[in-house]
Amino acid sequence: MYIRVKRSKTTYFIQCDPTETTLDIKQKLHTLIDQPVNDQRLILMNTGDILEDSKTLADQKVENDAVVALTLRKDDNEFEDVNIVKPNDFYQSRDTDSGNW
Amino acid sequence: MKRKDTVKLISTDEMEFVIDKDAAMVSQTIRNMLTSPGPIDNWVFLGGFAETELGEVTFPEISAVILEKICQYFYWALQYSRGKETEFHIEPELTLELMMAANYLHT
Repeated sequence: MYIRVKRSKTTYFIQCDPTETTLDIKQKLHTLIDQPVNDQRLILMNTGDILEDSKTLADQKVENDAVVALTLRKDDNEFEDVNIVKPNDFYQSRDTDSGNW
Repeated sequence: MKRKDTVKLISTDEMEFVIDKDAAMVSQTIRNMLTSPGPIDNWVFLGGFAETELGEVTFPEISAVILEKICQYFYWALQYSRGKETEFHIEPELTLELMMAANYLHT
């Protein structure tokens, strides 16, 4: 399966297994974004639950195609708020890039 | 999962999608880009794939909503090819743009 980890304008598609733990996912993210696992916090978007390092994805009801927010530790040691940029509305964007395929 | 095994796809509204190269290569167009050396017409290459750890491809004509759906399709197609036969859900309002993007990407 895969999950979609989102922060700001970026979405990371991470291949994983229900038996993997949150820490496993953070280690995969570490290779992509150079942020230590301790400075990452993952939040399951459809419930708002913060994922715990030692628990597996299955334990925490993280399923295939789930959207998980990534937040990072700020300089003051607190975690930032969830920040996911939503794409422009589909119908608005049609007008601006009017199909020159 | 290593950084060099991923590719970053950027939509016209500057949203970024980082996916495995395996998944991206479901698209024949992206496969050709990843396996050919230089820039091809309007593809933006930030460094050749052989030299840089992270390849980036900008799609000036694909919106984030469509590009995300395409990435989901890539992973669905990988899983399907490995024998996990599930349905792929497409919202009716996305079908036209998705078909045009799929045609573009040879997907």
